[in-house]
Parts: sequence; C-alpha cells; structure tokens
Amino acid sequence: MISVKGLYHSYSHDEKYAVKDANFEISKGEVFGFLGPSGAGKSTTQGVMTGLLQLQKGNVTVAGYDVKRASRTMFNKIGVSFEQSNVYGKLTALENLEFYRKLFDVSTRDPKELLEIVGLDHVATQRVSEFSKGMKHRLTFIRSMLNNPEMWFLDEPTTGLDPAIASVIKEIVKGEKKRGTTVFLTTHNMFVADELCDRVAFIIDGEIKLIDSPRNLKLQYGERLVEVEYRDNGDLKKETLSFIDEKDKHHLNDIVNTGKVEMMHTKEATLEEIFIKVTGKGLQ
Amino acid sequence: MKLLYSFLKDMQLSLKSFYIYIELGFALVFVAVMLFAVPENFEPRVTVYAYLDLEGPNQVMAEESLTQEGYEVILLLSREEVEAELADNRSSVGLAVALEDGTIVYDYILQGYEDEKFKNIIKTSIESGFAKEMPGYENVTTVTTLEGKGEKLSDRLNILPVFLALNAAFMGLFIIASYIFLDKDEGTIKAFAVTPAKVWQYLLGKMGVMLVSGLMSGLVATAFIAGLKAHYLHLILLLIACNAFGSALGLFIASFFDTMTKAMGWLYMSIIILAFAAVSYYMPAFSPLVIRMLPSYPMLFAFRETLYEVSDLRYIYANVLGFSLAGVVLFLLSNWRFKKTLTV
Repeated sequence: MISVKGLYHSYSHDEKYAVKDANFEISKGEVFGFLGPSGAGKSTTQGVMTGLLQLQKGNVTVAGYDVKRASRTMFNKIGVSFEQSNVYGKLTALENLEFYRKLFDVSTRDPKELLEIVGLDHVATQRVSEFSKGMKHRLTFIRSMLNNPEMWFLDEPTTGLDPAIASVIKEIVKGEKKRGTTVFLTTHNMFVADELCDRVAFIIDGEIKLIDSPRNLKLQYGERLVEVEYRDNGDLKKETLSFIDEKDKHHLNDIVNTGKVEMMHTKEATLEEIFIKVTGKGLQ
Repeated sequence: MKLLYSFLKDMQLSLKSFYIYIELGFALVFVAVMLFAVPENFEPRVTVYAYLDLEGPNQVMAEESLTQEGYEVILLLSREEVEAELADNRSSVGLAVALEDGTIVYDYILQGYEDEKFKNIIKTSIESGFAKEMPGYENVTTVTTLEGKGEKLSDRLNILPVFLALNAAFMGLFIIASYIFLDKDEGTIKAFAVTPAKVWQYLLGKMGVMLVSGLMSGLVATAFIAGLKAHYLHLILLLIACNAFGSALGLFIASFFDTMTKAMGWLYMSIIILAFAAVSYYMPAFSPLVIRMLPSYPMLFAFRETLYEVSDLRYIYANVLGFSLAGVVLFLLSNWRFKKTLTV
C-alpha cells in the first residue's frame, strides 16, 4: 500500500535534512506506527506521503500512486487526520463535514453518523469556534473518515483527549483495521503504538533506526523478568525473577508450588524503554 | 461542482464575518457623502472687494462689468475698506477703479502670494468684463477642443469612477490575500489539500466572493449616484473584468509570501501605486507615461465611459478584454505558484 525508498527532505533545500534516507514498505491492512520525539521527522515524512510537502528526493508510492506525479484522484483513497485541529471555526460541525464530503468523487459516510461515533452529535449544529480543543480534535479525526479511506494517515490521534474518548478513537482504528484499512500512525505515545500497531518504526533526527513488530522488539530487547508477590509465614513478599537464570527459575517454581502466590506478571520492556535503548533518546 | 461548493462555503464564511458588511457599509457611506455633502458641481468663487471711484455712466458700466460668473463682487466705499477686508479674507482679491484724466485706471490689490498665472487670469477676466461693456465690442475668440466628446460629467459623477476602481475593483487585491492567509493560519488549507479538489477551484472560489462583494458595492454606489444615467450592462462586464484582475493580482502577490504580515507591505504598496492614476484622472495635464502605464489609468476612464450618455464602447470593451486576459494570465501564474506553496 505504501512504498518509501531513499526519501530525503530538507526545508532549507540544502544538506540539513529533516528526513534522511527513509526506507520502508507498508502492506495492505497493516497498522504501521511511526514513533519518534517532536522534531524527529515524523510529520515531514507524512507530509511528503500525503502530498502536502513536495517530494524532493526518493521514490514514494501511496495506494498505487507515485506521489511525484500523483493525480488529485489519489485523495479519494486517502484520509488524513492532522495533529493540529484544522476546521472552519465559523461553520458548525455538520457544515464542516458536509463541505468536505462534497469534495470527494467517491461515496462518503453520513456526517451525522460519524459525529455520533465520537460523541459530537449533540453539538452538530453548534459553531466549531465554541468547541473545546478535544472536540475540535475529534471533528478533525472523523473528517478523515468521510471517504472510507483505504489508506488512513493519523497524526497523534489521541493527543489531548481524555482516556475515555482516546479509548473510543482506538476502538475506531481497530475497527477500520478489521475492514482492511491500512493505517500510518504517527505518534510519540508508545502505549497507543503498542496497542494498535502491527509494526513500528523508530525515527530520530530524520533517520529510521529500526522497524519491527512491538512483540519482536519486546522479545529482543526485553529482559524476560517476572514480578511475583506471595505470602511467606504471613508476610507479603515481592521479588523480581529472571526466566533465564536457572536459580531464579527453580525459586519461582518453589513459590508457585507452595500455592501462596498473590500476584504475578511478566515484566516486559515497554516500547519507550526499547526506544531509549535503541536511539539513546526519549520519546517526549 | 467542487468549484461551486468551494464558492458557496467561502460565501457562507464571508457572510459570517465582517468584511462583506464593511464593504457594503463603506459603499453606503460613500453614497451618503456624495449625495448629501458633495455638491453636484464644484464652483470655486473668488471674492472680489472693489472700490469704484467713478461717477455716472462709468459707475454703472463698471458695476455691470463686474458681475461675471465665478466671481462674487462686493462693492466698498474706500480703498482702505478694501484693504481691511482683504486682510480678513486671505483668499480674496481687491480692485480699485478710478477715473484719472479721462482714463479708467485699474488698481489690483492682491494678497502677495499669488503667482503670475493667477495675476494674469484675474487681470484678463476683469478686463474682459469691462471690454464687453464697451460699445462695439465683438468676441472674436474661437475655442476648439481636441477631445471630440462634448459631454461633461458633473463633478459628483466624476468621482464615481475612482470609487469603482479603488473599491469595487482593487479592494479584492488586499482582501483575497487575507482570506488565504486566514485559511493558512486555521490550517483548513491543508485539509482542503488532501481532498481531490484542485487548487484552482480553491482560488477561484475565493475570487467569486470578491466578485460578489465588488459587484454589490459598485452597483449600489452607481445606482444611488448615477441612477439611470449609467449603462449597467457595460458597467457590470467592466466591473467583472476589473475585479477579476484585481483579485488575481492579489493572489499573485500573496503567492510569494507565507504570512499576511510579510505580504502586507507589498499589497499596500500596490494599492498606493495604483491609486496614483487618480491624480492624472483629475489633472489630465499631469499624466506622465509612468502613470499612464498603470492598469488603474485606463480603468478609471473606462468606468467614466459607462457613465456618459453616449459611451465609447470600443474603449470600454477593449478594457474588458484587456483586464480579462490579464486576469487569466495572473490567475494561471498564481495557480502554478500556489500548487507549490499553498501548504508550505
């Protein structure tokens, strides 16, 4: 669905690249996470793929269209949700969606239905300038769904949303994935990436450092520990034991056999920990 | 259809903002000033304080000769009174006429700031007034005008083309740029850019709004000030062409900048330069090539033509065609530039 080969982009049109030699492919129906701190080159890469920034060097194919010579009809297959809400403040939520849906040449979704999905149906006829930041963000998000996109670009889709709404957004993404939509998810939120993505790419200073599935990364970079809480002569004890160390494995076995285990869970490395390990920098 | 939707959305947005009402309000204020504060024709009258030290028929003849169009003559009883009045009214002139040894002697009393040209005009006009009263006077002066058209617009009507050019045609230059930068600030331009709609549809939708407001203010002003004297079909076509040219020029200038602050200076300078044509419009004697080359120069005269009873259609439609073509070229250039810079 997406193929990026040798992508470079410089805002100053010199050797100061915001994105350097980016290479990756995304299959149809895959949710691909693009993880990196602010200024890493995530939005620039997405900007080039969506045609908002001119392709300077490299080859980019999106939904079968070569971005360098892409026809406007490409956007019938693409949906883009922006990190910064960008809706007409003077229009109502419904007017905003009605306007944008008319710009597509394909069948579109009912704006009222979309508003209902993200809990904005009760303010459908209210001016968007009166909306909170989170409401505007939800409106920007559902606008990107109007044309039932085959290729969906999501830039920080849950940023600034309360946990309940963020959960709704994540469920929508999962639902679209089930329908076969390909998703390019740009985020610095590792939990969102971990929950939604089939594969993630770590980008830092414009360079992709690593691409793999969250599971493989955890297996590769995690320490394979288990944290156990158990009762020993009435006292609550807590230990962290290794799955690899023979002594720890026997000790864990003994604890389990006594039947006094109160809580036990594997302690995997988080994506953020792996990111720091790989890149030497944090995600914030 | 996407162009129509884009235009309708922009109309909806402009109706929910102030600009369109400000433009209409300004047109109405202009109409009110023109109808209630500006006379139909300006008649500059010079006050002449005169002391006539004459008697009998000479006195009568002198008094009659002084009653000329454009002069308000106030007769006083002494030269001292004339000088006192001149001191009070610095824009007046004085005249003392006396009979000395059977010869009428004119003594002009001026303020001191008058130039030779003014002195000669005053002298000649007053002398010719006396001359007309002389027995056997015959006017042998023949006046030939180079301009074929004999019809003259009233002074009030003569102001209307300036309003039409600067407000109805060129105001879009400034406003269309501000609309685009507003969309850039809101980020809505990016949302539009990721739809199948084309950049020219976006730009033309905005030009449509400028056209509606330009036509509205132009026609309202013309209807109230010129009434049925104007040729509305010609005027509408000329307004459309000139407004499109103004908006396309605004788009072209805006395409070189990414913020309104950066573009403001250039847009403002363009309006000021275009406005210079009004100087030559009012003072035809001052019309250097650099001013005649400004697009606003022929535009002003074309608008004036639409107000004459007998219009020079060739001139009007040459302007319609010229501004339409220039508008198309500027629009194509703007579209080409905005394809690269609209979302940057």
